[in-house]
Amino acid sequence: MSTPNLDDLDRQMIEILSRDARVSNRKIAAELGVTEGTVRGRIKRLQQDRLISFTAITDFGMANASNIAFIGVQASVEHVRDVARQIAELPDVNAVIITMGQFNIFVIALFDGLESLWAVASDKILAMPHVHHVETSIGVNTVKYNARVVRITESDQDF
Amino acid sequence: MRDNFNVDDVDMAIVAQLRKNGRATNQQIADLLGLTAATVSARIRRMEEADRLRVVAVSDFAAHGYNVLMQVAVAVDGRPASEVAAELAEFPECFAAHLVTGRYDIDLLVVLHDFNDLPKLLLDKFSQVKGIRSLTPTIAVDVIKYKFDVAPISSGAN
Repeated sequence: MSTPNLDDLDRQMIEILSRDARVSNRKIAAELGVTEGTVRGRIKRLQQDRLISFTAITDFGMANASNIAFIGVQASVEHVRDVARQIAELPDVNAVIITMGQFNIFVIALFDGLESLWAVASDKILAMPHVHHVETSIGVNTVKYNARVVRITESDQDF
Repeated sequence: MRDNFNVDDVDMAIVAQLRKNGRATNQQIADLLGLTAATVSARIRRMEEADRLRVVAVSDFAAHGYNVLMQVAVAVDGRPASEVAAELAEFPECFAAHLVTGRYDIDLLVVLHDFNDLPKLLLDKFSQVKGIRSLTPTIAVDVIKYKFDVAPISSGAN
C-alpha cells in the first residue's frame, strides 16, 4: 500500500461522492467551483487507479445476512496466500486479511443464523487443505463500522 | 424486521445494478430492467429515505494513505465492555468496533498511516482507556479482500 498523489480537489470530490454517489457532475462542479469536464476527468482517473468505486450499500435489515463473525484461521505458512485466495472466493466472506500473529488469516463474514456461520467456518474453511484450525468469534453489537473504505480489486472495475 | 418496510424483486434488481455501478443513470438501469426512469428514481429514493440503502463512493485504503491495518482483540476487566468499546471507538484510528463472544470482549479494526504511529496509539491512547485487561494486536501483511456491501445504516453505527 503506497500513498498516491491526491490533491485537495480529489479529496473534496471523494468526500461528496462518499455521501451520495448519484450526485451529478454538474452539481459537484458547481459546489467545488470547477468545470464539469474536470470533475468527469478526475472521477475517471480515480476509478482507473482503483482509488474509488461506486456501489450500493444496503442495511442489515434488508439483507439475509445480518450477523457479523470474525474467524481466525491457522494455515500452513507456505500455503497461506493460496488458502487466503480460496477463502476470498466464498460468497459470504467480506474480508480476508493475511496477518502476523496468533492466526495467519483473519476473515470477516456476514451470516444469517449460527448454522450458516458453521457452514462457512467449519464446513468450508476448516475443510480446505493446509488449514489446521479455525476460531470463531461472533459480533453481538456493532459500536462502529465503516463500510466506505475498502480494498478495491480488479473485479470491482466494472464501469 | 424492525418495521414494515418491504422490498420486492424489482427493488432487489435495482440494487443489484447499483452494486455493479452506483453511478449508472436511472435511464440506464430502467433500460436494463424494462422499467421507466421515474420508477427507478422513486424506488431508489424510497429505500434511501427508509435508511435501507446508500449509494456511495467507496474508497481504497490507499486513497487515504492508510498503510497499516491491524486487528486488535481487547479483553476487558472491571468495566462494562460496551463502555470500553464506545470509548475506543472515539479514536479516529479505530475503524470498526464490535462487541464479540469468545476469548476476547471487543474486536477492533485499526488503521494507521505509518508503523511509527503504533506505539503512540497503543501506549498513549488505547492503554489510557479504563477497564482494559489486555490488547492483542494482529498486523495485516496483505489485504486479499475487504469490502462490505451490507452495513448497519439504520442503527447509525456506520
